Amino acid sequence: MRAFEYAFREGAASLWRSRGSSAFAVLAIALALVVLGSLLVVTWNAEQLLAQWASAAELSVFLHDDATSEQRGGIEDFIDKSGAASGREYVSKAEALARFKREFSELSALTTGFDDNPFPASIEVRLRSGADRDGRTDAMLKGLATLPGVADTRYDRDWLSRVGGGLQTVRSAGFALAVLMALAAAVTVATVVRLGLQGRHEELEIMELVGAPMAFIRGPFVAEGFLQGGVGAILAITALWLGFLIVAAWWGQDIRALLGGSTLRFLPVRLCAYLVAGGMAVGSAGGLIAARHAG
Amino acid sequence: MIETHHLSKFYSRGLYALRDLTLTIDKAEFVFLTGPSGAGKSTFLRLLLLQERPSEGEIFVNGQNLATLKRSEIQEYRRGIGFVFQDFKLIASRTVLENISFVPEVLGVPPAQQRRRAFQVLKWVGLQHRMNAYPLDLSGGEQQRIAIARALVNDPVLVIADEPTGNLDPDLSLEIMNLFREINAGGTTVVVATHDRELIRLVGRRTITLDQGKMVEVG
Repeated sequence: MRAFEYAFREGAASLWRSRGSSAFAVLAIALALVVLGSLLVVTWNAEQLLAQWASAAELSVFLHDDATSEQRGGIEDFIDKSGAASGREYVSKAEALARFKREFSELSALTTGFDDNPFPASIEVRLRSGADRDGRTDAMLKGLATLPGVADTRYDRDWLSRVGGGLQTVRSAGFALAVLMALAAAVTVATVVRLGLQGRHEELEIMELVGAPMAFIRGPFVAEGFLQGGVGAILAITALWLGFLIVAAWWGQDIRALLGGSTLRFLPVRLCAYLVAGGMAVGSAGGLIAARHAG
Repeated sequence: MIETHHLSKFYSRGLYALRDLTLTIDKAEFVFLTGPSGAGKSTFLRLLLLQERPSEGEIFVNGQNLATLKRSEIQEYRRGIGFVFQDFKLIASRTVLENISFVPEVLGVPPAQQRRRAFQVLKWVGLQHRMNAYPLDLSGGEQQRIAIARALVNDPVLVIADEPTGNLDPDLSLEIMNLFREINAGGTTVVVATHDRELIRLVGRRTITLDQGKMVEVG
């Protein structure tokens, strides 16, 4: 406990003494965390949106024009018993046409000139949450394809999977970049802490000669790196927050429209805590590298 | 207390700092190590402090073979030794009292006990009135008395001093030697390396003379 207290007291004093050079290490950590944090803000919001879309994803069952009411009843019965649907709605050919004209008014001219209504009747199915994961949706889709009266089925999952895959790629690339920057930050911390170590060689020599435990000799350097990491992380989160506020103030409306009404959200406290912990870990690692030269 | 058997230290073949040294220093003894520059006095003290390892032979302190000590055992061993150097090795950014309490501080002694013990030894060397001064504000003699106080703060069983009066005038040198005599009177073994023959004569203790790494005289 005393070693811990001593390490942090001396680490903080050293950080203050060498505040000029420490600023570089703090900035290096802050920069790495701003990159990682920005990536997290983007991917986290995208994930939330994706989850929202996934929960709202609908499965449409299109019916043949000549499907009988018995066939339609059989299809609806099958959907109800599948355990995958939380609700369903029958959309007649007339309703489908009216909906198209309402939602795409500028294209409504395209529907004129047909002898018959070209839109098929359909049953729109709302899926239960989790039905996708445990295979109930797949089973229902397979079963539906075999039923008489079913012309086709459409499910939004494919493009959601593709967006999810793309997001994963972005996340991996960004994570790799953040790791590289974190390594660079750790090296910067190690260099700065080592500079401080040179200035304390007399103290270190005395500590060694009196038989001070290693925790007292090396601890302050690890603590200094830890503090640099912590300050860097707090700086990064502050910068991210300010950036977020600016983006939200300037482009908030546009983003909301783009996201279909959802607002852009900042990182949850849990992720901010992880960022701070990450910064402290990177700083400590740098401090530890430098401390190997002490004692 | 200290025993060496055919102790040698060389840095490269043929360049011996110490050669085949066999000697005994008893518990509570005061011994001078003397000889010209390059005789091996500092090397012997460095071996005693385990700043270096012997190349050949053995060195025992209180029955412990120093050559076989592990890192954690070295730390433990050093806690029983006080050291004083010619250049004082005081920390310029710390006050006199902080310089002394630094030792118990980094050994994990509770703060109140650190200050109490530091003040006791500072009083013992007669510099309690300078406790808040910084080393660079003190004279050479005062700085060396602070270094001695620091060496004593941990109640060592052995005090070693490497040319402790090298930077001091004769009167101050004798004053410092009197402090070592008092330390020794309390039962602490004292080994002082010096090339000052006159000082040795004035203090009048057993003297081991080294020359070119060899023991040439014991008297």
